[in-house]
Amino acid sequence: MTSPHIRVAHLRKYYQVHEKEPGLMGSVRAFFARRYRTVKAVDDISFEIAPGEVVGFLGPNGAGKTTTLKVLSGLLYPTAGEVNVLGFTPFKREHPFLKQITLVMGQKQQLIWDLPPIETFLVNQAIYEIPEAEFRATLRELDDLLELGPLIKKQTRKLSLGERMKCELAAALLHRPKVLFLDEPTIGLDVTMQARIREFVAEYNRRHGATVLLTSHYMADVTALCERIIVINKGCLLYDGDFRALIERMAPYKVVRLHFERPVTCAQLQAFGQVEACDGFTATLHVPRASAVEIAGQLLTQLQPDDLTFEDPPVEDIIRDLFAGGLEPPPPAMQPDAPAALQLSPRQTTP
Amino acid sequence: MRWIRAYLALARAGWASVLEYRAQIVIWMSTSLLMMIMLAVWLGISRAGPVSGFSSSDFVAYFIVGWVVRNLTAVWVSWELEYAVRSGQLSPALLRPIHPVHKEIAWHWVEKGFRMAIVLPIATLALALTPGISLALDLLSVVAFVVSVFLAWLIRFMIDYLIGILSFWSSQSTALSTGMEGIQLVLTGTIAPLALFPQAVQDVLRWTPFPYLLNFPVEIVMGRLSTEGIASGLAAQLGWSALGIVAAWVVWRTGIRRYAAFGA
Repeated sequence: MTSPHIRVAHLRKYYQVHEKEPGLMGSVRAFFARRYRTVKAVDDISFEIAPGEVVGFLGPNGAGKTTTLKVLSGLLYPTAGEVNVLGFTPFKREHPFLKQITLVMGQKQQLIWDLPPIETFLVNQAIYEIPEAEFRATLRELDDLLELGPLIKKQTRKLSLGERMKCELAAALLHRPKVLFLDEPTIGLDVTMQARIREFVAEYNRRHGATVLLTSHYMADVTALCERIIVINKGCLLYDGDFRALIERMAPYKVVRLHFERPVTCAQLQAFGQVEACDGFTATLHVPRASAVEIAGQLLTQLQPDDLTFEDPPVEDIIRDLFAGGLEPPPPAMQPDAPAALQLSPRQTTP
Repeated sequence: MRWIRAYLALARAGWASVLEYRAQIVIWMSTSLLMMIMLAVWLGISRAGPVSGFSSSDFVAYFIVGWVVRNLTAVWVSWELEYAVRSGQLSPALLRPIHPVHKEIAWHWVEKGFRMAIVLPIATLALALTPGISLALDLLSVVAFVVSVFLAWLIRFMIDYLIGILSFWSSQSTALSTGMEGIQLVLTGTIAPLALFPQAVQDVLRWTPFPYLLNFPVEIVMGRLSTEGIASGLAAQLGWSALGIVAAWVVWRTGIRRYAAFGA
């Protein structure tokens, strides 16, 4: 068995922040007697990531995602716990370590603001000691995947946000890092550009077998790229495992949308599943995942809707439920005609 | 070899940036015109006769050479560092396999190249056209001058770098940098040759880094120093440089730990 690329054991990162009351008096008081409060940005989390894995790192704002990425890349040193990336202790920032990783932060940049990206690329070639032939090959490949084209010769400050992000990624990957930490790489980008960046990350992972740990607020990034997710909230680990399994556990139902030519009553529909909405002509039902096809058949034959669609529940909702209520034990199977089972949506089971 | 390549690449990018900011650099350079104003003042005073042994042509030589030295030793690393810390741009820089200070050093050097392209022809012409100027242009003096200017730059860079590192603790380190600039104007001999200061003040100043930042290199070329004077001045510069490098190294290590603890 290969050893993991990333190993985190009981990581804690606490900050001391000083509190200041508003106004002039508050400032004066803060000047003479600062009051400090400990913020537990990360509080005892452990996980391992194998070589080549693409893992989504989810959590609401302030959950501790960026802090963890900064600890893993070596920008922050941990308050307690063990962190090991590629066999190195990150916060020592040894050059052989730095040459094998990269951290892309959607809101920070390494491109030299007033110069075209190619200037930053050339600087990186020198400081990462990339041989000329390899540099050219990598640049060609990145150009091919990201369609950089003329962008690399345009002043960075004149690039659009999406164009700049593409060049940031290129600059961050010229040395072909084995481990990629991507912190909100698609933030602020339009849908097309988000998709392009996603495809690129997936392709880079395929071609180079790189390990990727990615945070994003866009669920599409995570669904497209990650089989495994790690969810944290308030510095604590909520879930670590298969993404699909989580969805099935948090939302053991499918969403059925119906449209009728002749009106039906809500009572008629309740026999088939949990009624979410119903106005006589259109209706939305939650039906158990396992018997969804069977129920659809019954609906078609008994109520004869002129349109019926199946959907997975929105991932955003599932994750929101997880953030709000944590991970509940798997609920019992939902029975279509048992009134008690109608209460089983995770949103309703959590206080 | 790796270092040479890295510095060449950084210098290349620095040069492109210098050309981008050429107008701004010319404006920064104009702050050194203060020395030309001081020259005019001292020429007015010395019209009646030499001041403490400084004739009118001595003043011309002092301030023109001083102007060159001031341009060659200009530093702004504290501003860069303060901005990098405040904006968070230091974080990506720390993750590259080269210390962030090397980029600053490389960029300072190429900027000096740009300044010299403007300053040197003007200074040479002014010195050549002023009657009665005699400079010490023997090999020893010229080499000593070049070395002393480099060391003067190094000391100023380290002082400013130390101020910049204070950004890890305070968000107002550039105020300190401005204050330091004011002190340096007086104590380095920028507004008046230190030879005109009372002897007691000169004796005290000798134990500070300030005379070695401008007054000392200028006096080498003016031929006002004995070989022993040059040697002891260079030794003092080396001492201050070494102290600056060690202090910067220690304070950086402490500061970066704080940065890593509080919010990279």
